[in-house]
Amino acid sequence: MAKRLTLYITIFLFVGIGIVPVIVMFLKSLFVDGGFSLENYGTLLQSNREWTLLFNTLVLAGATTFITVLLGVPLGTLFSKTDLPFRRLFAVLFIIPLIIPSYILAVAWFYCMGRSGIVAGVLGETAGIVTSKFLFGFGGTLFVMVSALLPIVIILTMTYLRMVNQEMEEAGRLYSSWPVVLKKITLPLISPGIALGALITFILTLGEFGVPSFLRFDVYSVESFTRFSAFYDFDSATAAAVPLGIITIIVLIIERFFLRMKKFVSRAMGSEKKMAIVSLGKYKSYFLIGVSVLVSVLVVVPLCVLLYKSLSPSAYVEAFVRSTGSIMRSLLYASIGASCLVVFGFFLGYILDRKALRLSYVADSIAVFLFALPGAVIGIGLSNLWNTPGANFIYASIPIIIFGYIAQYTALGERIMAATFPHVLRSMEEAAQIAGAGWYRRVFKVLVPLVKRGMIATWLICFVFCLRDVGITMMVYPPAHDTLPVRTFTLMANSPDNVISALCMIMIMITLLPLCGLGLVRKYIA
Amino acid sequence: MWAGVGEKIYSLDLRLVLGAFCPWESAANKIKMIVKIENVYKAYNKTPVIREMSLDIGKGERVVILGPSGCGKTTLLRMIAGLIHPDKGKLVIDGQTVADNGKCIIGPESRQVGMVFQDLALWPHMTSYKNIEFGLKVQKIPKTEIRERIDTIFEKVQMVQFRNAYPGDLSGGQQQRIALARALVTRPKILLMDEPLSSLDTDLRHVLMREILRLQEELAITMIYVTHDREEAFSLATRIVVMKEEKIQKTRTAGQIKEWL
Repeated sequence: MAKRLTLYITIFLFVGIGIVPVIVMFLKSLFVDGGFSLENYGTLLQSNREWTLLFNTLVLAGATTFITVLLGVPLGTLFSKTDLPFRRLFAVLFIIPLIIPSYILAVAWFYCMGRSGIVAGVLGETAGIVTSKFLFGFGGTLFVMVSALLPIVIILTMTYLRMVNQEMEEAGRLYSSWPVVLKKITLPLISPGIALGALITFILTLGEFGVPSFLRFDVYSVESFTRFSAFYDFDSATAAAVPLGIITIIVLIIERFFLRMKKFVSRAMGSEKKMAIVSLGKYKSYFLIGVSVLVSVLVVVPLCVLLYKSLSPSAYVEAFVRSTGSIMRSLLYASIGASCLVVFGFFLGYILDRKALRLSYVADSIAVFLFALPGAVIGIGLSNLWNTPGANFIYASIPIIIFGYIAQYTALGERIMAATFPHVLRSMEEAAQIAGAGWYRRVFKVLVPLVKRGMIATWLICFVFCLRDVGITMMVYPPAHDTLPVRTFTLMANSPDNVISALCMIMIMITLLPLCGLGLVRKYIA
Repeated sequence: MWAGVGEKIYSLDLRLVLGAFCPWESAANKIKMIVKIENVYKAYNKTPVIREMSLDIGKGERVVILGPSGCGKTTLLRMIAGLIHPDKGKLVIDGQTVADNGKCIIGPESRQVGMVFQDLALWPHMTSYKNIEFGLKVQKIPKTEIRERIDTIFEKVQMVQFRNAYPGDLSGGQQQRIALARALVTRPKILLMDEPLSSLDTDLRHVLMREILRLQEELAITMIYVTHDREEAFSLATRIVVMKEEKIQKTRTAGQIKEWL
């Protein structure tokens, strides 16, 4: 009884915090002046601008997905299956853009390629105009989005490659060389991972607000935000958000009916057999040069530009003066958010893995839908629902931001925990039950100790995602509750470059800090 | 079970164990050698998995490598296949040196060996037909010949009706037959089998052992079979190589070992 009650309460809390605001927002947009009306949607369909926005959004998401897969799969393969020198270092470098807000990369490239950027300083004003034209538009937005989301495809490719049954590749090696085996056997075997990477890249680009907003490329998430924040037009903002919701649902349906059917035989993670390593032979130096150039362009250059721009003690002093409160709030909110997400992730992951309730797939579908939904849309929904005098204690304080994090990122915690629970045999829990332990005792004395590593991983990943969040926080943060990414974003218009660069560097450092901490204490929690 | 067998085998007369009396040697000299392993050594992270091993295998033989888990028998098989390379020593297949002192001279794709893996390693994204076709296509064999060879092998393994089935839709025994067909269709010089029946129930194992024997005799192919199962070894082998602690303990015909036991 206690078990069912706890699990049902978790689901209802999650539904209440996450999906109810979105549904209420959608329903409200169907009523104009107290009566049912499709006026908001009529306006939407008749406007040419809306079709342009839809086109821009889909083309940006499609092109980003295509290029990240095109680059990410070979890179992931090089890092995990070959003897490329420094492959671990390369993998770490490529992953850095994922843990920092993507607009920081846009800022770095602006300092580099803007009209008065480094390129203009070196090559002259004309060159600056050309590079600036490229940056502020489709090309620049696409370039930054690719560098920001490339790590997703790289990580998934590496993860799925580790799960491929080595004997399947060896069976192919008896007949053909490695390139043929990789093309005909290994890549088809990891195709679900590649498809998942493509799907995540597509939906994250769809919902990206920071980069297109900074680089002035018109897409739906920016439009929705502008209508909400500039014109304070809830209904119109909602109507503008609906196409994103519909595209998200279509993409998720494809995932449910296509991707999940493709489950290939693979070995478990941590299998004793080592992965077969492909020797690059005489091509090693060519690959090394190619990867070095790519990592320099996509990661090292923007980071070095920020570092170079911020290289003065006064910039850091001013950055700290202007943002000490935001830094502390960022760390506090991300910590609270990550802790809440661990709790939700623990119980929802348990429900999903053990099929503990009939509602398991419903809760999972809602979590995944909300993760895929642009943060701006969730933010509008939350503001819409909680912006009433009676709920001021939520709307005007920390809970509204935490609710946003829970709504958007519960899927992360749920899926990580659901992947952790299979390592705890059901019989372990049952043995405690037979010994007379109640549900809570089983949770705290058996389950939690056995899945603590998964919980720590969940906390860290959720912490990073909460810390870098812009989409939701920008929409819902109450006065004097801004976080560092939001503070940096709002200061960009009227602050010196070196202060903004220093803020970006601080942001990168506080994101990397807990990950470095994990590296230090890893052996103690193993 | 193995410990008991081991004790009996290893307590045999030293003369026999060390090869002072070895009827196989004289017979071996008369037939053509297809595999010659000379002083092969292999280590992982400085831990030896094969120590100074030498073994000759004649054409058409059915050699079973018998030994407990971790004695290096699978490593030996994978070295013959070319999937790993010896750190020291020499490996000759059909008169050609394929690996010499840590250097791979001929890769697995050119050694003309077929292999049935322990967990079969059927490619789940390909149908039975495509699984079997893969090796032939890579070898650029004409399409008509590919079709003929696949039709023949499907008949030989009695799986004609499962041409378009995916591995996931087949039973363990059926998967086994497809794996065997895939290994044989390229007409390899040597068929390597790495405990292929270990996951099957006893009845099915007996049926498939008979099938393997029939096919090996029909095709007159050299077979090297790795197992830890005594019964399998006695049923299949013309010669048994007993391995223990990373080395060959003895080499005997199946008849001799039965007799001694």
